[in-house]
Parts: sequence; C-alpha cells; structure tokens
Amino acid sequence: MLVNLLPHLVNGLTLGLLFALIALGFMLILGLMEQINLAHGSLFAAGAYFAYAIATPRLPLPDLNQAWATVPLGWRYATAFLVAPILVAPLGLVIERLMRRTYGRDPLYGLLLTFGLAMVLEDAIRALWGTRDYTLPVPRDISGGFIFLDLIWSRYRFWAAAFALAAIALVWVVVERTRFGAMVKAGAHDGEMVQAMGIDIKKLRAGVFVLGTMLAALAGVIMAPIWGIRPHMGIDAVVPAFVVIVLGGVGSFWGAVLAGLLVGMVVGLSGAYASEWSLLSMYLLLILVVTFRARGLFGKKSLLEA
Amino acid sequence: MTPAARHQAPTFTPTMLLTWAVLATLPLWIERVGLYQYLAVEVLIWATYALAFNLVLGHAGLPSFGHGAFFGIGAYAFGLAQFNLAASLWLCLAAALLASAVAGALVALFISHRRGIYFALMTIAFGQVFWFIAVKAHGITGGEDGLLRIVRLPAGFGIGAVSLEDNVSLYYGVLAVFVLVSLGLWRLVHSPFGRVVKAIQQNEERARFVGYDVWKAKFAIIVLSAALSGLAGGLFAMAQRSAFPDVMSLHYSGYVVMMTLIGGGLVSFWGPVVGAIVFLLARDLIGAVTTSWMLWFGMLFVALVMFRPDGLAGMFAGLRRPAPPPAPQPVPQPGED
Amino acid sequence: MSSTRISRRRVMQGSLMAAALAGGGTFFGPWKHTRVWAQGAAKPIKLGLTCDASGQYGASGQDDLLGMRLAIDEFNAKGGVLGRKVEWITTDTETNPATATRVAERFIAQEQCAFLIGAVHSGVANAITQVAAKYGTIYMNTNSSAPSEAGENCARIKFVWDGNGTNFSKASVKNAVEGVGKRWLLLTNDYVWGHTTSESTKRLAEAAGAQIIDNLLVPQNTRDFTAYLLKVQQLKPDVVATAIGGDDIKALRQQITDLKLEGRTAWINNQQDWPDIWGAPDSLFGVFGTTWYHKLKLPGVDEFVKRWQAAFPKSPIPVPGNVSYNGYMATRELLLAVERVGSTNNAKVIRALEGHKMPAAQRMQHFDAYIDPVTHQVQQTIYLARRNAKPADPTDLYDILSQTEPAHALDDAAPTKCKLVPFDKVPTYEM
Repeated sequence: MLVNLLPHLVNGLTLGLLFALIALGFMLILGLMEQINLAHGSLFAAGAYFAYAIATPRLPLPDLNQAWATVPLGWRYATAFLVAPILVAPLGLVIERLMRRTYGRDPLYGLLLTFGLAMVLEDAIRALWGTRDYTLPVPRDISGGFIFLDLIWSRYRFWAAAFALAAIALVWVVVERTRFGAMVKAGAHDGEMVQAMGIDIKKLRAGVFVLGTMLAALAGVIMAPIWGIRPHMGIDAVVPAFVVIVLGGVGSFWGAVLAGLLVGMVVGLSGAYASEWSLLSMYLLLILVVTFRARGLFGKKSLLEA
Repeated sequence: MTPAARHQAPTFTPTMLLTWAVLATLPLWIERVGLYQYLAVEVLIWATYALAFNLVLGHAGLPSFGHGAFFGIGAYAFGLAQFNLAASLWLCLAAALLASAVAGALVALFISHRRGIYFALMTIAFGQVFWFIAVKAHGITGGEDGLLRIVRLPAGFGIGAVSLEDNVSLYYGVLAVFVLVSLGLWRLVHSPFGRVVKAIQQNEERARFVGYDVWKAKFAIIVLSAALSGLAGGLFAMAQRSAFPDVMSLHYSGYVVMMTLIGGGLVSFWGPVVGAIVFLLARDLIGAVTTSWMLWFGMLFVALVMFRPDGLAGMFAGLRRPAPPPAPQPVPQPGED
Repeated sequence: MSSTRISRRRVMQGSLMAAALAGGGTFFGPWKHTRVWAQGAAKPIKLGLTCDASGQYGASGQDDLLGMRLAIDEFNAKGGVLGRKVEWITTDTETNPATATRVAERFIAQEQCAFLIGAVHSGVANAITQVAAKYGTIYMNTNSSAPSEAGENCARIKFVWDGNGTNFSKASVKNAVEGVGKRWLLLTNDYVWGHTTSESTKRLAEAAGAQIIDNLLVPQNTRDFTAYLLKVQQLKPDVVATAIGGDDIKALRQQITDLKLEGRTAWINNQQDWPDIWGAPDSLFGVFGTTWYHKLKLPGVDEFVKRWQAAFPKSPIPVPGNVSYNGYMATRELLLAVERVGSTNNAKVIRALEGHKMPAAQRMQHFDAYIDPVTHQVQQTIYLARRNAKPADPTDLYDILSQTEPAHALDDAAPTKCKLVPFDKVPTYEM
C-alpha cells in the first residue's frame, strides 16, 4: 500500500512547488502593493514566448539568429532561462506606470486595468507569434525520464520543482533579509512613513512590480516545457494562482507556499485515486478552508479589507 | 444631488422614459443602420444583466468578478425547468431567478463580511467553482456540447399566448423584462434600503456605527443581484436556444464588469445600459473587420480606466458641467440620473 | 444591389413588427417563414466562414479557413459558380458557442450569407447549427469530430465532414486487442466528447475479448498528467486508449514523449489534428488516427499540396493537413452541389448532397466516400498512423500504418440516435 502511495506523495510535492511558483509573483504584487494583477497570466505567457524565441532560436535579427543557432542548446536554454524574465520586466514597468493613475483610488480600478491589459497582451502575442502552439526545447541533461521505484519519472519535472524551490527561497531572502524588502513591507502598510523616511515610494512600487513580473515570466519559462506554449496559456496560470492565494491568505508569504504544496498534494493524490475529482478537489479544499478560516490559512486582517 | 433631493426621487424620470422609448422603436430602424435584430436582443439582455450587476459593483461598491456564474446558472435553470418541470415561460423564468438566488445566497454566506480586493478574489474563486461544475456535470448541463434545444417559450396570459419565437417578438419580451427590472432597481436604489446600501458603499464602518446591519444588507444585495443576473441568464438561454458553460468563465465575468464601467455604472444608474450597448456594438463591428478586436478594444478600455474612470456617463456629465469634479475618491456614488 | 436587400428586409421586418405589436396568438405558428431573395443574375454567392481565431481551437480554425479559401479561389478562377462570383466573410468565433450564435445570426441576417462553413469545437458547431436550422441555412461542420454531431445533434441542414471517435476506434481497436494484448486501460477526458469516444472504444474492445481494467477520468484543463502516468505504470496495462482532446492532449503528448513511456505500454490515440501536431512535432506517440495526410501516395495529392502552398506562402503551417483538407473538401463539395442543381435553393442542394458519392480520386483518399443520407456524416477512409522514424523532410511526420474503408469504420450507433427533421419543416430559400 505504502509503496503504491509513495509515488503520488512525491508527485504531489513537486506539483505543489510548481503551484507555489505560479502564485509567487501574483502574491508579491497583491500582498505588498494591494493590487490584483490580472495580467499575471499574460506575463507568464510572455516569459514562455521570449524563452522560446531565445532557445530555439527565433530571434528577430537573421544574422544574430544564425550565429546564435550554432551555440549548443544547453547554453541557449540557460540564456533563455535568465534573459526571458529580464526581457519581460519592462512590460511590468509599463503596466506599473499605467497603474499609477489608479493608486489611491478604489483597488477595483487596478483590477480592471490589468484585466484590459491581459486582453491586449494576449491578442498582441497572437498577432506576433500566431495562434499555433510551440514547444520550448530542454537540454538533454535535464529532460527525459529516469527510473525510481520501478516507475519512469520525468527528470525535467524535478528540475522544475528545484527551480521553483530556488525562486521561493530567493523571494524570501529579498523580502525578509534585504533593505529593499524591509522598505517594501513598510511601504505596504504605511506609504507616508516610508516617504517621510526619504524613500522614493514610486521607485519602490516599480521595484515590487518588476520583481512580480519577472517571477511570473520565470514561472512561464519553467512551465513551458510541461504545458506547451500557446496564446491563451495565461489563464491556466491565473486560476490556480487565485486558488493558492485565497487559500494561503492574502499577504502571507508562507501561506502561499504552504497552500501551493497543499493544492499540489490534493490534486496529485486525487488524480491517482479519484481521478475525475482532481481539479475540483482544489476548489473543494478552498471552500473547506475558507469556511473555517475566513481569511485563508495565514491571512491577517489587512488594509485590503478596509 | 443632495440627500434631500434623492429622498424624493420620482418614480419616472425623463431619462428613463426616453431610454424606454428609444429601445421600443429599435427594431424599426436597426436594420437600416446596418445591424440585425438578434444583436438588439443580446444587447438588451446584457444591459439587464449589467444593471443587475451594478447593484453590487456600483451601488454597494462590492467588486464581484464572478458574476458570470449567476448568469450561467440562470440559463441552465431555464433550460432544465423547461425540460423537466413544464414548458411555461413564467415557471422557467422563475426557476432561473430562484436557482441563481440560491447560488447567490450560498456565495453571499461566505463573502458578505468581505470587501475590496478580498471580495473580488473570493468571487473569482467561487465563479471558477461554478464554471468547473457546469463543465463537469455534463449529464445535467450537456458539458461543452451545451444544453441544446431550449425553446423560446410563448408568454401565456390565460386567455391567449404571445409567441416569442422570432427575434423581434423576443426583443419585445426582453424589453418588458428590462423595463420592469430597471424600474424596480430605480425604486430600490431610492428606497430606504437603497440608502443603507449607499451608506455601506461610502463607508462600511460608519454605516455599522450608525446602526445598520451591514452584513444583512450586503447579503440581501448580493442575492438580489445574483437573482436578477440569473433572470437575464434565463432570457439569454432563450435567445441562444441553448445554455453553454462559457458565459460563466472568468473572461465573461470580466466582460460585464467592463460594460458596467465603460458606461459609467459607478456614477450613473443608466451607465451599465450605455456600457452594454457600446461593448456589444464595438465587439460586433470591430470583430467584423479584424480577428483581433480585443487588442483594440482592450486598449480603449485601459485608456478609459486611466483617464475616465467614471466612464461614458461621467464624460457626459463632465461636458454638461463646466468644471468636472476631481478624480473620485473613493468610488463616486451611483444612483444619480 | 442594396435596393434588393433593403426591400427584402423591410418586407420581413414589416410583417414581424406587425406581428409583434399585434401580439395575437393566432398569428404565430411554428416558424415556417419562407425566405425569398430577389436575386440579380450576377449577384455573388456569399459564404460565412465561422472559424475560430482565438481560444483553444484558434490555430485549427485558421488552418481550416485556408482550405475553404483555396476552394473558393479555385471556383472563382474558373468563373465562379453558376456564373456568379463566390464571396466570403469570416469572424472569429472565439472557440465559444455564445459568440458563435451571434456570428451565425450576423452572417445570415445581416451579411446575407447563403451558406455557413466551419467549426472545430462541438459546442460551437451546435450553436451554429441551431441558428442555421431556424433559417434553413445549410451549414458545413468541417472539423468537429464529436460522435454526437452525426448522432443526437444531427440536423437536416448540417453536414459533418470529419471522421468521429467511433470511426477511429473501429479502425484500431480490434487489431490492437488481437495484436497487442487484452488488458486495456482507458484515459478519458471528463467531458462529452471524451466520454462518447471512450464508450465506443470500450464496447469494441470488450467485443473483441479485451478486459477494461480501469477508466481514468481526466478533468478538462488538466495540464499536469504525472499522477495519471504514475497510475498507468502501476496498473501495467497492455494497451492504453486515450480520449483526451484540446489543449489537454497537447500537454499529455509532451509529457509522455519526454518520458518515453511508449516503451512500456502500447498507446492508442484518437484522431490527432495536424495543426496540433505541427506545434509540437516531437511529441507524437503511439498509434493515432487521421482522415488525410499530405504525403499519401495517391494521384492528385502532390498537386493539391502545391496549389495550397502557392496560395498561402505565409501560412504558419507549411503544408495542409487533415483540418485544412476538410475545410477544402466541404467547401468544394458544397459549391459543386450548387452547380449540379443549378441553383442555391437550399432544399435542392441538401438533396443533392444526401447520399452523394465522392470517388476516391476526387477525395484524394484510398476509398470512395459518400455522404450518409441518414446522419449527414461523410463516410470516408480512416487512416492509422504513428510517428515517422525516417522522415523525408521536416513535414513528413506520419508513418501511415493502415487505411480502413468506410464500411468497416461506420458508426453503427449514429443512425439510431439521429433524427433529421422532414424537409417540409425546413424553411426554404434561394439566394
């Protein structure tokens, strides 16, 4: 019995890390800026598309493209992994710039603005790359299968989970252990105080938004080899992100991570033992939790409710 | 308007009568301006839906991003009542109203003590739950194939029945509902209960302090909005002759928010109607020339949110008044003419 | 040209308005309005192409569109149909039935389209069918392969051009039971198409002596199949038959080929659409079905591919596949039927299409095909293929394993489920 169960527990764990990764950028912007960024999914998709352009390679400059194509895939992939989020970052800056006009107003406006931007970005992706699907090639060393417990496992999926873990750790360090993080956390709760301390709140907000954007793009790069790349892939990311955030509690870093793991475990286990309920199970989990803990697992009473 | 003036809001206003009159003549000239009757039916249904939705968004200041669920449940309830209970228009519409009211009450139990972004988050999550169930329960809903062969039932009045089979007569049927809903909502907004809702929208803490039962009022407004959205959904099932899960998706829930905001639902009672007309016309006309209409419409929308957050109605008001008020903070009050 | 349009509209609108305002119960009967179009000799024939450009089937919808356009261009190049030019219009149906309803209304009522063509998603096809049926407008469902399309959701005005899940199961299941093994596992997408397709696989497999050891239901929009793939390995079936569609199958394909799971059990897939394959050519696995392939060694295929390529040099997919092929064939056969009857009268065209035989040479398939008069589905050659280990060029992705003639792939259940309305209940028109 246990031998049969073990693979599904391992799977639930890796799946959970991936869910947490997808929710991470969303959580940052929501928790620290009190803005629901509905363009999160589009930024996720943009990350995947940019990575595709770099790794395959399909760069817009023919000469560069030719030279770049001779570089081994491993290097191209690594470059895509690091550069794609940086390329998407300016998009985040633009969104933040547009959003400035909504600060101080009802948070609804930020939500609506990003909803509109999500539609624009999705159609822009369709205009640039077309409606067809793409796949992001992965170097041989981290793809393929390996045998464990007499079962074939995906090597890339463990790498993806490891990347996710690294990204989570990185965010934790930035938010909890740097001056930037301290300023951001202070700014989230008392903008005037931060400004009084001589910190440029505008730059601070832009910084948070860029960080959230790059995390969304990074999640896109990491998920692309598993999910595939297509214009409407963003919605696949936004929905689980919502579930994870509400479950974990708004504004709680560890809440989001734990909720991600919980969702992964529930979806993974139900996939094996009650397969048709696997996606619904995360919603049921959500309803169960908010019935007893109205603010999610670790949600604090926040400004968002005022 | 001052509170005193609002107190004596008339039952009928010139804007209201003019709106109804223009809508009543629409089928006479819509084809002459290059459009088609079915579009008018859809516009009017969405306008009803948007009015119902604005009860929550504009009047109570609760940003729901999962209202498509109630619209969709109404559509399914209409079809299921027709197939399993009796093929009576009144019964089916009542079923649509009731089913979505029950769903609304269920959701309201969880979210009535929420507000702001957290409220939005929860409505999105609940919207997804309902959408998922609609796709999954294909034995009942027909899944992605849709619940088909829904009949446009005749409106029976004891002595005779009026067929709503073709698009023009259905349009007048929908118009009747629209008139009733808009009149009812107008009265509601200007009733004592409406003032409680307004107080909540302006400042929930203060409303509670003054002695209003905020939770009950929010619960009631969510249920009512859900029920009327479901009624519009029932009409939509008639128009489409089927019910599909897609209208319950996050995108469609977002569309009704867009309509309401574009029209100026936050500052004007009739804003959602204007918004529904603009949105559906733009979609139809831009969609006819390009397959990426969302690119252009999305940009327009973004610009509107940034520069004209009080929508077209706000723009119009701004033109009438030489000095427009500064950017509203918080959300301006709806319910004005 | 506009004068005739307006006059017709005003007649129709006048009567409807009077009816609406009079509000009497007797005036309205069942909708049996007969439309008569005033037609000038040179008035173009207008086709409404209902193709998805966004949403889950956006890529397939646009590939479908190219096939239709090629057929239309070819008719126009030889002087049109009945001396009339063929015009077309397309609007994104967004892989969304609610949008499709509106687009169909627009095409028929406002754009005055004589015929509607196109769909990949069964909900979209149903939505268009319901609108078209009210007006009597002939509708070609090019690529929605749900068995229900030619079963319970069939219609007198609709013709179904794709092979369905049952056709493919019939072509593959019996041989696989006899050749591979008797322990079968089903992997079924938890929505209507998945269920009906798996149901027919189950019936056929059990009839051939197989045992279904489990049926794993996969919720729609599943992106991570690891839990299922682990379960499959634990259960150790001889054959896994999948009925997974849409974006889900693309994710599944990618995950299975990454693992090279093909080595452990045999996989049988239902039809794989060319636009979906082209996005991820390395992810083909197992045995799968198709109705056409651009490298079939048959006369006419090469010429067709060249014509298609010359017409659409900028197509995102460099060669036509089964989706574009269906779009082309449906459009061509429709226009040929109009030529045969010498009119666009819908009743005449429908009669000309029902039971119509299409020789193998014209179909560019191995066997003759025909339009089933009972279900309106095109009964055609069904191919089984697997990934090509020795491709001649980058597009040569399939290794065609077998071709099954229509008689051996027939969906026997469809005729009992399909009830076409009698002709006198179909509004007639000519335009």
